[in-house]
Amino acid sequence: MFRIRFHGRGGQGIKLGARALGSAFFAEGFEVQDAPRYGAERRGAPIAAYVRAGRAPIHERGPIREADLVVVADESLIPVATAGVLEGIAPASVLLVNGLTSAETWRERLRLRGPIATLPPAPASAGAPPAGSACAGAAARLVGAISRAALEGALREEVAPLGARAVEASVALALHAFDLMAPHAGSVVEGEAPRLAALPSPNWIDLPRELPDVAAPDVFASATSVEVRTGLWRTARPVLDPDRCHRCSWICSSFCPDGAISAGAEGLPAFDYDHCKGCLVCVAVCPSHAIRAVAEADAEGPREAAR
Amino acid sequence: MSRRLLTGNAAAAWGARLARIDYAPAFPITPQTEILEALGGWIEAGELDAKLVLLESEHSMIAAAGAAAATGVRVFTATSSQGLLYGMEMVFTVSGWRAPFVLVNVSRGLATPITLEPDHTDVLAARDSGFLQIHCATSQEVLDSVLLAYRFGEDPRVRLPVIVNLDGFHLSFTREPVEIPTPEAVDAFLPPFDAGAVRFRASHPVSQAVAVLGSGPYSYFRYETHLAAQGALCVYDEAAAAFARACGREWPAVEAYRCDDAELAFFLIGSLATRARDAVDRLREAGVRAGLVRPRLLRPYPAAAIARALEGVLAVAVVDQNLSMGKGGVLHAELASALWGAPGAPRALVSFIGGLGGRSVTLEEFREMAEIALRAGREGRTPPPRLLYTAEELREVRKLQAIAHGERAALATEGRS
Amino acid sequence: MSETRFQRMNDLPSTHLLGGGTAMCAGCGGLQALQLVYDVLGAKTLFVNAAGCMTLLSIYPFTPFRGSWLYTAMACAPAGAQGARDALDLLVAKGRMPKQEDLSVVVLAGDGASYGMGLSSTSAAIDRGLDFLYVCYDNEGYGNTGQQASPATPPGARTATDGSASGVARPKKDLFGLWVANRPTYVATASGAEPLDLARKVEKAASLRGPRLLLVHAPCPTGWGFEPAEMAEIGRLAVASGVWPLKEWERDTGRVIHTKVRRPRLPVEEYLSRQGRFRHLFEPARNEPVLADIQSGVDAYWDAAG
Repeated sequence: MFRIRFHGRGGQGIKLGARALGSAFFAEGFEVQDAPRYGAERRGAPIAAYVRAGRAPIHERGPIREADLVVVADESLIPVATAGVLEGIAPASVLLVNGLTSAETWRERLRLRGPIATLPPAPASAGAPPAGSACAGAAARLVGAISRAALEGALREEVAPLGARAVEASVALALHAFDLMAPHAGSVVEGEAPRLAALPSPNWIDLPRELPDVAAPDVFASATSVEVRTGLWRTARPVLDPDRCHRCSWICSSFCPDGAISAGAEGLPAFDYDHCKGCLVCVAVCPSHAIRAVAEADAEGPREAAR
Repeated sequence: MSRRLLTGNAAAAWGARLARIDYAPAFPITPQTEILEALGGWIEAGELDAKLVLLESEHSMIAAAGAAAATGVRVFTATSSQGLLYGMEMVFTVSGWRAPFVLVNVSRGLATPITLEPDHTDVLAARDSGFLQIHCATSQEVLDSVLLAYRFGEDPRVRLPVIVNLDGFHLSFTREPVEIPTPEAVDAFLPPFDAGAVRFRASHPVSQAVAVLGSGPYSYFRYETHLAAQGALCVYDEAAAAFARACGREWPAVEAYRCDDAELAFFLIGSLATRARDAVDRLREAGVRAGLVRPRLLRPYPAAAIARALEGVLAVAVVDQNLSMGKGGVLHAELASALWGAPGAPRALVSFIGGLGGRSVTLEEFREMAEIALRAGREGRTPPPRLLYTAEELREVRKLQAIAHGERAALATEGRS
Repeated sequence: MSETRFQRMNDLPSTHLLGGGTAMCAGCGGLQALQLVYDVLGAKTLFVNAAGCMTLLSIYPFTPFRGSWLYTAMACAPAGAQGARDALDLLVAKGRMPKQEDLSVVVLAGDGASYGMGLSSTSAAIDRGLDFLYVCYDNEGYGNTGQQASPATPPGARTATDGSASGVARPKKDLFGLWVANRPTYVATASGAEPLDLARKVEKAASLRGPRLLLVHAPCPTGWGFEPAEMAEIGRLAVASGVWPLKEWERDTGRVIHTKVRRPRLPVEEYLSRQGRFRHLFEPARNEPVLADIQSGVDAYWDAAG
């Protein structure tokens, strides 16, 4: 059975990509199971989706821990521990990364022994989130069991609700990615069924009875949400040009949904990049155009402040 | 201490009064309404320093009760039947808040068809909610159980809301002698509610009942509520011992009446128990070694105490005044699971469905149930569940059906002419 | 409003109480408004929440609040507020809690709860004269479940449940009018796009007792189909086109006052055409009858308002 895990950000079409791959497998006569990770996904937040495909009926369910192919639709997610991109990667697992960084760089940085394929990011297109379609196309070629025609048919079926223009754009993206992956065609090897004897003990414990002040879902502290680094959602960040800033001190700060802009004593706004989600409302509202958007990949300084 | 004639409803109100409740969110529903009227009268007269607020539904009433308890005051409320079900989302919700308060449920059968008569299907719908449940047989027990409920529900090891259940009509509207404990005795037994850290104060921010993501925290919090409910068994026993010292009455988690040498035991809850005791006495006179086992606590389920009471009993006649559609009696199923594999467990558990919609169970029916159960025990063959329903009852229904269908037929005839 | 401490734009707070790191979408108009609401109310606030997007503000063990929070259910947040308010009052009255430990009780609910499932408990809380502020972030649909139509969804909008060529075919429910008819203490609409107006209304609401509503327009990039960066502009256009009137009503005066009136109003098209939920009114061909209906509905409102 093929076990394939997709990683991306809310809004990048990951669920759609996984479904397209699942439908393509199905069209090729495979038994298929696909599912997005269920949770409170938000645009920009790390999300995952799963595809299983095999010749026999599939009885496994739920998240895929050990994947034969890990598809990363946004390379900025790889260092994000909570995204779990590298979880359960075995020596034989293939890693597909959508991004500009080279496979050699990833191999060195991540000390991975398995095959790594990279896919140059596609430009935004009409109505369809590009990463999902491109990743579906690339993944289809990597598994080697899906024809170009089956891929195209699956894309047409899955993207149809988004309209005709989106369908054409998605198909083009997917087929282009499919062709680009020709050198790696069929590099994904179907994983074996787990051997019972090799599995570790489940390590059960007896849950102790605890008092209600710890055993109820109550938070006895202020603003603990700051521990959550929603700065990781960002694909672009606001950057201030202090020379153009009028120090009006309220506009950008008042319009920031996340309270991530505060004005210091001088009246100059300071950005909290730990929590700024990159909505860029501040860029839009600043009357003196003193705030510009800088792609996260080009930004100086860390995505989040050092701990 | 004074002795008075009180209905079950009045006894419930007296329990709340003696517990010095702070707050009573309310909504009227028959046959419970008397309770809140009594409380309202005492508050008006200055005899009870509490606030009664009439909400617009039981859903809101239970939300208000939970929120007030989560803020740190002692709360009492009451409902019945459809009201309990209307509030059911909040019944399940507030127990997870670990907000302790007492809800008196006056049991009444559920629609459809709508009825005012009692049975236990309403309160058993709440059995998986996290509310603890005490089931009462007499007005005295109602008053005392309200006090016990506060003591063990508010215990920091428990902190769960408690339902005190009494049967509509059979208890709610029936007067019988009740000893009213003195306020001094009650105060010695029941300390003021101490909410500890789980309460709202400006100086101590707390976000209560927040969402979780993932099964790890969810399983933990849910199972902790279960562990607290299970742990409430020994907290109850402590409370019952303290109550006996303060007020002189014993309220064990499980009543075992003449069970020591019993060959046959009835197993049931609620006010039918007094009639069952009477049946046991008559059967004993007739030479049948009969007894009665009546769990007062249904949540937490006192499995060990029940198994102990039934040890050596040959056969049990379980009388369920409730109906789980497509399965049968709830008490029977729970008893079977509690006794499976227990040493000295009875050889037969025979299921009887009786008391639906207020139907009384007669003495001859107790005698018949005893015979059937004993036969099953001796022969090792258990008969299928039996609905207590007579040929006369069906004949009466047939008459009603004739009218119901006859009228329709007559109208149809008129329509054609 | 001469007594307001918000005379000028730079009287608005420049640091914020609500913690960052919440799960709301990037560019959430409701969260932007809540920032200001919380800054003006202060931390001595107990938010009683009904099921909706903002239920996910607090996900164990993370909360953005510096005061208190209680999640109830979708239908009964005002009843939860009743229980908490009464309990706090009882504790103070009985001398079991110092007055300075008191909290103001605020219901925080979306339009799904406020216009629909929670209306019964809201109406009853007003009937009882409950001392609470109700903050509704109105993103005009069941946003947390994928933008199905709620009674707050405006005419013409396409939702996950209204896929027809002309979108939702009935008018938006008048929650402001429903509240006024119940005669509470104070009822106001507001928008995060007009922060000074919003701050003044929060300030006024906080100075009053009894049932009070703040109905806040909450542009939703995810559900309405616009880029997150455009959130403030969408909010501004809603006000400037007259689609979202800024107004308040006090029981003491019994009159509806429009607090900010744009003359001349922008055509509603300028607001509608920026959002994916109205795109079908412009593409592939303009749906003139529906556009005219929406414009005349807005015109009729303002004609009646005088």
